[in-house]
Amino acid sequence: MTALFQRLMNIDRRWLYLLVGLAAVIPILLPLNLPVNVAQSVQDLYDRVESLPAGSVVLASFDYGPSTGPENDPMADAFLRHCLARDLKVLCIALYPLGGVTEGAEELQRAVGPLDPANGVLESTAFPGKFYGRDFVYLGYKDGGQATMRQMGENVHAVFPREYYQAPVTDYELSNQVRGYGDVSFVMSFATGIIGEWWANLVNAQYGTPVAVGCTAVSAPKYFAYYKAGQMFALLPGLKGAAEYEYLVKQKYGQIAEATAADVYNAGKGWDVQSIVYTIITLFIVIGNVGFLLERRQRRS
Amino acid sequence: MASELWVWVGALFTLCILSFLYKDNPFFRFAESAFGGISMGYYINLTFRNTFVPNLIAPLFHAGPAYSAATYPTREPEHWLLIAPFLLALVLYSRYVPKIAWMSRFALAVYVGYYAGLNMMQKLQGEVLPQSADTIRSFWRFLPERLPIWLDAQTRTVSWGEWISSLVFVIGVLAVLVYFFFSAEHKGVVGGVGRLGIWFLMISFGAAFGYTIMGRVSILIGRVIFLVDDWLGLG
Repeated sequence: MTALFQRLMNIDRRWLYLLVGLAAVIPILLPLNLPVNVAQSVQDLYDRVESLPAGSVVLASFDYGPSTGPENDPMADAFLRHCLARDLKVLCIALYPLGGVTEGAEELQRAVGPLDPANGVLESTAFPGKFYGRDFVYLGYKDGGQATMRQMGENVHAVFPREYYQAPVTDYELSNQVRGYGDVSFVMSFATGIIGEWWANLVNAQYGTPVAVGCTAVSAPKYFAYYKAGQMFALLPGLKGAAEYEYLVKQKYGQIAEATAADVYNAGKGWDVQSIVYTIITLFIVIGNVGFLLERRQRRS
Repeated sequence: MASELWVWVGALFTLCILSFLYKDNPFFRFAESAFGGISMGYYINLTFRNTFVPNLIAPLFHAGPAYSAATYPTREPEHWLLIAPFLLALVLYSRYVPKIAWMSRFALAVYVGYYAGLNMMQKLQGEVLPQSADTIRSFWRFLPERLPIWLDAQTRTVSWGEWISSLVFVIGVLAVLVYFFFSAEHKGVVGGVGRLGIWFLMISFGAAFGYTIMGRVSILIGRVIFLVDDWLGLG
C-alpha cells in the first residue's frame, strides 16, 4: 500500500498536467451541464436588479483585462443582459489599464450586438428598441484608479469629457444625465486585483453608493470580508459566481439567453470543467497527504 | 479551423506559453518577452490617448486628436490650473539630468502627500471602522442573553446558524490576536490559545489556496475554450 502511494507521489508532474489538460478539453467538447447551487452573495445581486424600477441607472465598471476574462467576461455578459431585460439603463466605464478598455467594448458588443455609433449604428440587435446613448453607453477607460473614482464623485463629465467613440458625453441622453454617484442606483464592478476593493472602501464608504463586485477567485477570500460587513451588498466570486448568476438569469429570461448566447462564452460550460479539474486536484492532494503520513509513520517505526 | 490571422497568432502564442509545462524553452521566452513589450507599449499609448490628451492637452492647449471646440469652447479659469500638474509631470523627467535631478522631488512630494491623504481617509473610513464594527457585531451576537435557545421563535433576532458562525468568528479572532501577541511568552493558556490561532490561520490560508487554484483553472479553461472553439472550431 505504502509503495503504491510512494509511486503516486513520485509521478512525473507532466502526467498530471496531461490529465488536467484532458479534463479541460473533454467537457468543452461534450458539455455535462452539472448542477449549480446559488450562493446568497450571488442571489443578492440578482434580487437587487429584479427589485429596481424600470429606467433606473446602474454604473458598470470593467476593471479587468483579458488575463482574467474567463472569469469576468461571463459575469459581465449575464449582468448586462439581465439589466437590459429588466429595462435598466447601464453606464459603462473601465478603470483597468491592461486591456480594460477593449474588454469593456467587446463585452458590451457581445451582450447587445454589433454597434458603430460613429456611423449611426446605435440600435441593439440583441435587444431591439434599446439604443446606445439612451439605454446603455460606454465612456471608455481612464487612468488613475482611486483618484478617478474620487473625482467621479464630484463630476463625472470632468473625468470623461468624451465617451468611448469620441463623442462629447453631453451628446447622449444617458451620459448627460449622470453627473455623480447620486445619479446611479448602484455600482457593479467586474474586478481583477484590488480595484473592486477601492469601490467598497472609497465610493461606498465616502459616498454611500451601494457597491457589488464580481471578482476573480483569487481575490474572493478577502472580498468576502467586505460582503459580510455590508460594504458590498453582493459578491460574485470567480467563475463559480458567474455560473450561478448566469443560471439565475437563464431561469427567468431563457429566451434572451437562447437568442443571443451562441457566440458567447458561457460560464456553465466552464463550470463543468472547473468541477472535474477540481475533483482531480483534490484527489491528488489527498493522495499526497496520505502518502506523506504513511511515509512518516514508516520512518518513525 | 479559424480563417482570421489574429486568431492564429493568439493560438500560437498560447501554445508557446503552455509549452513551459513540458520544460523551459525559447518559444516560451519569446512569448513572455513579446507579451511584456506589447503590454507596456499598449499602456503608454492608452494612457496618452485616454487620459493625457482629453484631460490635459485638450483643455489646456485646445489641441490634440481628441480636441473639439464643442467639448472645450473656451478656456475656463480651472483649465489654467492644469498648468500646475503639467509642470509637476515635466519636472519628474529632471531625474535624467543629474544637475537638476533635485527638482523631481517636488513632484514626488506632492504625489506622496496626495496619495497618503487619500489613502488615510480611505483606510480609516473604508476599512478600519466598518471591519471593526462588523467584528464587534459578531461579539454582540455571541452575548449569552442573545442565545437563541433562551428566546422564543417570535423574539429571536439571531438564527442558530448566525449564532454558531458568530461563535466561531469570536473564538477565531481572539485566538489569532493571541497568536500575534508577543509581549507574553507563548506557554500555558496563552500558548494553547495561540496554537488554536495557528489552526484558524491555516484554515484561512487553505481557503485562499483553494480559491487561487480555482482562479488559475478558470484561466486555463478560457485558453482551452479559445483553442478548441475559436481556433480549431470544434466546440
